Amino acid sequence: MKISLNWLQRYIDLPESPQEIADSLTLLGFEVDDMETTGVPQLENVVVGEVLDREQHPNADKLGVCRVALGDEIGEKSIVCGASNYKVGDRVPVALPGAVLPSGFKIKRSKLRGVESDGMMCSGKEIGAGEDAAGLLILEGAPDLGTPINAVLTDSDTVFNLEVTPNRPDCLSHIGIARELAAWYQRELKIPSTSELPEPSSRVAAESIFSGATVECPDDCPLYRATVIKGVTIGPSPAWMQELLGSIGLRPINNVVDVTNFVLHECGNPLHAFDARDINGGKITVRNAREEEGITTLDDIERKLSSRMVVVADKSRALAVAGVMGGQNSGVKPYTVDLVLEVAYFNPTTIRWVSKTLGLSSDSSYRFERGVDPRSLRYATDRAVQLILETAGGEVCGPEYVAGAEPDWNRTIELSSDWVRAKAGFEISDAEIKSSLERLNLNVSGDGNWTVEVPSYRGDLERPIDLLEEVLRIYDTDKIPSGAVVATATGANDHPITEYAREATRYLVGQHFCEVVNYTLRSGDEQKAWADSVAALPLELKNPISEDQTQLRHSLIPGILETLRLNQSRKTGATRFFETGRVFRESNGKLVEMISVAFVACSVGQARSWKAREADDFYLAKRRAEILAGMAGINIGRFGMTQIEDASTAWQSGQAALVEDPRAGISAEFGLMNLERMKAMDIEGDIMAGSFCILPERLKATKRVQFQSFSLFPSSSKDLALLVDEGELASAVLKTVEKIAQKSTQGTFELESIDVFDVYEGEGLPVGKKSVALSMEFRSKERTLKDKEVNKAFDAIQSAIREKTSFEIRD
Amino acid sequence: MEEELNQIVASAQSQVGLVSTRAGFEAFKAEITGPNGSLTKVMKGMGQVAKEDRPAFGKLINEAKTSVQALYDKALASIKAAEIAERLGPAIDPSLPSPDSGPGSVHPLTQVREEICRIFKQIGFTVAEGTEVETEYYCFDALNTPKDHPARDLQDTFYLPDDADFANVSKKTDERYLLRTHTSSVQIRTMLKGEPPIRIISPGRCFRRDTVDATHSANFHQVEGLYVDKNVTVRDLKAILDYFFEQLLGKGTTTRFRPHFFPYTEPSFEVDFSSRHLAKLGSDWVEIAGCGMVEPEVFSAVGYDPEAYSGFAFGMGIERIAMIIYGIDDIRYFYQNDQRFLKQFA
Repeated sequence: MKISLNWLQRYIDLPESPQEIADSLTLLGFEVDDMETTGVPQLENVVVGEVLDREQHPNADKLGVCRVALGDEIGEKSIVCGASNYKVGDRVPVALPGAVLPSGFKIKRSKLRGVESDGMMCSGKEIGAGEDAAGLLILEGAPDLGTPINAVLTDSDTVFNLEVTPNRPDCLSHIGIARELAAWYQRELKIPSTSELPEPSSRVAAESIFSGATVECPDDCPLYRATVIKGVTIGPSPAWMQELLGSIGLRPINNVVDVTNFVLHECGNPLHAFDARDINGGKITVRNAREEEGITTLDDIERKLSSRMVVVADKSRALAVAGVMGGQNSGVKPYTVDLVLEVAYFNPTTIRWVSKTLGLSSDSSYRFERGVDPRSLRYATDRAVQLILETAGGEVCGPEYVAGAEPDWNRTIELSSDWVRAKAGFEISDAEIKSSLERLNLNVSGDGNWTVEVPSYRGDLERPIDLLEEVLRIYDTDKIPSGAVVATATGANDHPITEYAREATRYLVGQHFCEVVNYTLRSGDEQKAWADSVAALPLELKNPISEDQTQLRHSLIPGILETLRLNQSRKTGATRFFETGRVFRESNGKLVEMISVAFVACSVGQARSWKAREADDFYLAKRRAEILAGMAGINIGRFGMTQIEDASTAWQSGQAALVEDPRAGISAEFGLMNLERMKAMDIEGDIMAGSFCILPERLKATKRVQFQSFSLFPSSSKDLALLVDEGELASAVLKTVEKIAQKSTQGTFELESIDVFDVYEGEGLPVGKKSVALSMEFRSKERTLKDKEVNKAFDAIQSAIREKTSFEIRD
Repeated sequence: MEEELNQIVASAQSQVGLVSTRAGFEAFKAEITGPNGSLTKVMKGMGQVAKEDRPAFGKLINEAKTSVQALYDKALASIKAAEIAERLGPAIDPSLPSPDSGPGSVHPLTQVREEICRIFKQIGFTVAEGTEVETEYYCFDALNTPKDHPARDLQDTFYLPDDADFANVSKKTDERYLLRTHTSSVQIRTMLKGEPPIRIISPGRCFRRDTVDATHSANFHQVEGLYVDKNVTVRDLKAILDYFFEQLLGKGTTTRFRPHFFPYTEPSFEVDFSSRHLAKLGSDWVEIAGCGMVEPEVFSAVGYDPEAYSGFAFGMGIERIAMIIYGIDDIRYFYQNDQRFLKQFA
């Protein structure tokens, strides 16, 4: 909200500099986003001088040396000047040594081409008075010599752009802000008097022009006042009003409209003036709009209304969207003669809904939706009438048409000084508390246990805690003392999600990956390109802000690939990235938010090296995924691993794998990214990537383990090569043999481990077959195993394989 | 005899240089001291030597043996040296660069988040987490920000479609899903789950419908803190934040409170800091955080007795803090992930 300093000065004396006032507003809770000073700012050592004579500068054709009179106190000075638009006897602004001009230029006594100059005569631009830099500013009206320039050029103003928080609708006006400053500086607030207006009972009758206002929807419009002014002359508003309105960015329109705008920004009350001739039937009805009812608002847009909206209407049509904007059919025109002035109180919720639904926000709706004090309507009416009569003439008529009644207002809050100190936690005396409240016009009675009366415009003050804020505000929140940190332990640990992210991050950073942070919101195209199944997920936002951010990410990898692409195009040499974060997927027909970690390693991009290193392969990606799952307490080896053999995914068919278990709430993908798609994305090299996702509720704090004893006797190993179908997964072969081996050794000793140590396919083997070689490690807890017993078990394993499986044992 | 021994030693001496492998060495050794070796043969002749000559003969033999053994040791040493040399390959050039990847790096936003967590941990705050998808109730209503209240405009919100259904984000009734605009929702869910004392910070990703520019991003990160106990005061809040900002921004950092409005705290403040360690900022007050005493309505919403408990909450943007402490002038750097940016914080 814009607040003009000159406008404020109408209600409170503010000798402070604009910066000091801005600081005070900030500490009162009204943050000053910016401030702009127009006209001549406060200037020290710039005074009125008169050119007594001019001599040619001995060393420069274009310079003159002037004797300048500056009044009795300062005397005469010799000043070198390059301008040529002045004559002897002209009075001009003179900047004396010590002055700092708005540009930051500091005036010092100096020599110009060898001649001493004791100051500078200034152009308008140099002192901030307009844009004219061509010559000196010649001051009209012979101001006294030596007068500070600010006393002569008084059109300066500072406009503060304030942030007024939603709890303070009473401060959405100049009087509102002046009231706060009055409390801060403990100064008098001067509210313009309207007492000279004739009492409504003694006014001339208005019936021939207007005969009444009724409200059909009192919930939406609890109070409505209409006042008739007849015989006005529409014309421009006075210069002072135009200037003030202009300072806060309002375009002057005509005297009546300007008064309504002025009063809105003076008192915070929205008002509207109708041309009485346009009110068919001479009566106003405030009612709900009809479904699809049309109105062209003052901004020249035709709007269709709905039945929850409220209009101000005559007998045949809507004249205004209540509380939001007037209609073109009934506004004040150059030839308007009689006015009906509306000052109302509309329901904040209604106005907010209407404004949002129509996408139409105005100075009026902004104030109504935050809450106008219904008890302020009478003053706002009188003030507007007073100013209209002053600026547009005419005569105010009676009676005042009022629909609804001012609600009663009688709010007191019980407050104890001990309670205030207990909440504040520091010493603040009874007197300080009391005076803080009184400065805000809250009446305080009692002694330490007070009854505090709240004025009607402070509807936000309801409870003692609200008064605590007021006390601290006026006491000065910057004076709240610090203290010792009290740190009682709660016995809690950091959340498992936090710990997991930390552990995964440490691991991947240790593996030379750089962490990245990408946007959660992705484009539909990107998700579609990832996989058909992803495109089918309902991940779209209801109200996205831009086309490239419409969907929740289902995976971290697309973002990381985007990062990689950017780094490749900038030739940064980056090859390895990872991210931790949230992804959104489907599980059992519902959406779920999951914790995810993903990594991407690119085979090219690093600077060429004198020594070659092998690029990451599938099995390294698999190991990384296993380790990341392991950190979450999940052994993904337990779940089936499927080879991805589908060209419609972002993975390279046959070169990547998927683990998914909705019951365990996990999924992992890893392997080579689809070569064609990477190429289409403009990404070079082979991309080996992986990701692990887990439902947050499945992450548990790590439990303390129990030690398991192990055998101190040597192990005994056996190798076995099997001829199996080419399509057989190594893990399936392993599992089958493991079961057999466990059974064959049961009760005697243990199969400690079984691993694949060789896989071979090709020459020497039948077509469609491959060889899988397994090594088994046996061990006993009680003794060193004898060859005989191990061989016996090994024979049993082999015969079981022959009998029960399709595998062929190779010699 | 003596001549024969000299002959054997001399021959061994002349041939030892040809021995270069272990097999060659064994053959060489066998020729001299093997069962049929030349020296063995001479030793076997000991029996025929006259008794009185035996000590002298023995001495000669021992001398020859010692000489031969020295040759063996030498040969073996050079074989071992050759083997090791072969195993090692050429010597390294310590000045050549390593062909392996350089260090990984932690994103500056993560580093700042962790530093904030670390400082708060010193004074008893632990990390709480929640989901990024939230519901209107937990993000607004429970935080005293009812629908149709202008305060909701302060945070323009992304909503999910009305029929969206999340299995692991619980609703209060049938309110809409949204992307959380702050992590205060974590505070609500934490309070609903447990009893005071509560002392948590909740870092995390938040979303607002802001157009991206140098200081705005549709997603950003926040840390919020919550402390609930008996007799918590405004001064306690000031003390905690003073401690935190001095730890974060260096000794001599000062803060000031300015009155403000948040629906979920009363009284509410914005926090400015001033630090001589951040030369770029000069001595001006710089806005850094929001805070306040927990609004009694919020306690009522989670079933805490506002008469019995009091507390405070605070929140700050991680991007903003990172920009201040690292001197970064555009928020978009954090999301572009140019490695030349990332590596500066490695």
